Amino acid sequence: MKEIQLNVNGKDYSLNIDENMRLIDLLRDKLGLLGTKEGCGEGECGACTVIMDGETVTSCLVMAFQAHGSEILTIEGLESNGKIHPIQQAFIDVGAVQCGFCTPGMIMSAKALLDKNPNPTREEIREGISGNLCRCTGYNKIVDGVELAINYIEEGK
Amino acid sequence: MKFDIVGKNIIRTDAYSKVTGKALYPQDIYMDNMVYGKTLRSKLPHAYIDIDTSEAEKIEGVIKIFTYKDVPNNSHGVVFKDHEVFCEKKVRRIGDPIAFVVGETEEVCKLALDKIKVDYKELEGVFDPEIAMDENSPKVHGDSNIVYHFKIRKGDIEEGFKNSYVIAENTYKTHMVEHAFLQPEAGVSLIDEEGRVTVMVATQYPHYDREEVASALNIKEEEVRIVNTNIGGAFGGREDISLQIHLALAAYTLKRPVKVVYSREESFIAHAKRHPMIMKCKTGADKDGKLLAMEAEIIGDTGAYASWAPNVLRKAGVHITGPYYIPNVVVDSYAVYTNNPFAGAMRGFGATQVPIAHEQQMDILAEKLGMDPISIRMINIFKQGSVTATGQVLTESVPVEACIKEVVKRMDLFGEEGHNEETW
Amino acid sequence: MALEEVYKGENVDEVVELLDKYGKDAKIIAGGTDIVIDLRNNRIDPKVLIDISSIEELKGIKDKGEYIEIGAGVSFTQVVENPLFERNLYGLNKACHMVGSPQIRNKGTLGGNIANGSPAADSIPPLICLNSTLILKSVRGRREISIEDYYKDENEKIRPDELLVSIGFKKPKENQVLSFAKLGLRKALAISRLSIAILVELDEEGKIINIEVASGSLGKYPMRELELEQFLLGKKLEDSTVDEGVLVLQRAMEKRLAGRSTFPYKRVAVDRMFREALEEAMKYLDEVRL
Repeated sequence: MKEIQLNVNGKDYSLNIDENMRLIDLLRDKLGLLGTKEGCGEGECGACTVIMDGETVTSCLVMAFQAHGSEILTIEGLESNGKIHPIQQAFIDVGAVQCGFCTPGMIMSAKALLDKNPNPTREEIREGISGNLCRCTGYNKIVDGVELAINYIEEGK
Repeated sequence: MKFDIVGKNIIRTDAYSKVTGKALYPQDIYMDNMVYGKTLRSKLPHAYIDIDTSEAEKIEGVIKIFTYKDVPNNSHGVVFKDHEVFCEKKVRRIGDPIAFVVGETEEVCKLALDKIKVDYKELEGVFDPEIAMDENSPKVHGDSNIVYHFKIRKGDIEEGFKNSYVIAENTYKTHMVEHAFLQPEAGVSLIDEEGRVTVMVATQYPHYDREEVASALNIKEEEVRIVNTNIGGAFGGREDISLQIHLALAAYTLKRPVKVVYSREESFIAHAKRHPMIMKCKTGADKDGKLLAMEAEIIGDTGAYASWAPNVLRKAGVHITGPYYIPNVVVDSYAVYTNNPFAGAMRGFGATQVPIAHEQQMDILAEKLGMDPISIRMINIFKQGSVTATGQVLTESVPVEACIKEVVKRMDLFGEEGHNEETW
Repeated sequence: MALEEVYKGENVDEVVELLDKYGKDAKIIAGGTDIVIDLRNNRIDPKVLIDISSIEELKGIKDKGEYIEIGAGVSFTQVVENPLFERNLYGLNKACHMVGSPQIRNKGTLGGNIANGSPAADSIPPLICLNSTLILKSVRGRREISIEDYYKDENEKIRPDELLVSIGFKKPKENQVLSFAKLGLRKALAISRLSIAILVELDEEGKIINIEVASGSLGKYPMRELELEQFLLGKKLEDSTVDEGVLVLQRAMEKRLAGRSTFPYKRVAVDRMFREALEEAMKYLDEVRL
């Protein structure tokens, strides 16, 4: 067992973790944050994407102890004051959601992209989500969703 | 008529739960007193097996190891009951389930899997469907590997080829395809408050699952409940039973909630694939490009189990003529067992494989006749009232002609000169 | 996997002491993008894991005038976003940009790409063209090895008690350029099928007076393509020269890869990759000359 401290979605935690645990296991099994999904376990699909210290990572490829001292943002941390994030709203409004298993990771990648580049081109959006697979192949709607989110954010919606 | 839904953008009812990560898939279900299960799978494609679980049972935390001995009715399958819940004497493919370990943790189950002894007596396998059709080849089930044979006989094929000015004769092959739905198979089973065996699972067929579970456990269907959770993609890959019976059996026996989550690797191994097909096509046309005859043989490799093979190979046979009127047709479409991964439903269900054959045949005929590829299609294309090779009269909308015209227009295929549409 | 001890390293001194103590029982983890998969598939089974991903002194890109030193813990994203690699070092930027996906580039490091020794590592051919040096530290002190030797020489490996701390190379001159081309099976998350890096300098008449070509996945490890370099040196880049250059490269790779199932494909594909790298280099040089 190893003791680590980290901040998840704005909340500080001090946890005893198994040395072999990955960040995704910590989030799901220890903290019950089930919105982070495991699709492949090897960084190919992006369903487990979370934002770690401002950058997206695939949480299946991060050992839990490595996150000591880090700030982690998961899909559950996007709501503020009871209101969902503009990206989430835009995904709903354009129909960017099909089976939904890629959706949390996709939204986290979109969030990290827009944090860095508030006004990306369609091509830049495509690159921004290139580490996230959607097997329902709803990519066009997803890119539409991110474009709409840009407007929502500008309008302060 | 005024519509509330048709023609309007409607927000999906599950969209909010999915964008917030609150939607529950089976792997997201955790219950009190829950235990875990893992499946032991065959490492060889064709072998007699003898299994010894005694060492594995001694591991602390192992609750029970299920094998064929524990299953009241050890067979299942969507069309033919050719799957075993757990293989008894013989494995027929890599990945066939042999045993199911239930333990206090997933780690314990993994340790137990390593300790189960399987004595394999390897058998000669058959991996090429054409070889599998031979009487003398090794048999996967019973005494023939041919699962299904679909025939079309229309008109006079010999006369059709005799009158043809050009004939294209080619063999086309498609490969196996994996669905790779993003959410690997998972499920949780329990006995509900009314005493029913309940399986929470992402499935395409809760009603079939219920039948299969009840049949395998030899209980009434009313005593079985299948709860469909959110489904992380399926594409046909969740039409067959994967972990439903294993889970139901474990909860029924142990009276505790049991959870299984497949890894991506296990998901790949566990479920069906798209049928690879070999399509031998001979197509004849007259001087003007009018199709006169088509003879086709389709061989679909269904691997170790039939799954939906009859339906898939029937559909392939029906569609091999393409959207074209052909007066003289002979089609023989076969589904064949091999020791390959089993094939079943996947997006298109047999209609997806054949266009690579019928469309290339059209291009090749056009080339032989010195025609452009659009014109040869327009001459033969199905219209309202056309009769298909199976004798179906197409009485409803047949917009394929309009579709091709639109494609030609938007792609500007014939440039500024345009095209003399009268030839169509 | 059954790790007994994990350490979150705070500085290089601490890490080299831990390496000294545990030796072969320990593994370094930085971005984790390869090692976590290896751990879970039981391809490696260390007792101790030492994380270096938070060590600041490994994360700098230093412009030292004539030289550039990149910390082993620098991520691919950091390389891509650094203006030092925008102009005549664009080949390194491009190679790092083609690694994995945004998530993998955020976590994966240049040091990790080297230390895990993958023959398909995207960032290596450009670093070979630059004659890069690997700087290693242990409790015994500091040691340098050339990146080319690291791959080709069995005796020039990173020892169990050593930590790769940085990669150094001399900046190319303004009229030299580093270019890169990679073939993957898809745009994102594709392991290289093959890659080519070129560092080239032309004289005023357009004759090649300096050239280094390095390939990835065209042999057991990333390597210089010496026969091709010799052939091109002193020549003008006319179409016929490039055509013949492709043949020289194909002959060289045939000696290494003949009989392998991938060879017929790579033999054809290398043609386009070599031309792409060369064309991008020429485009830059044309701009500089104008």
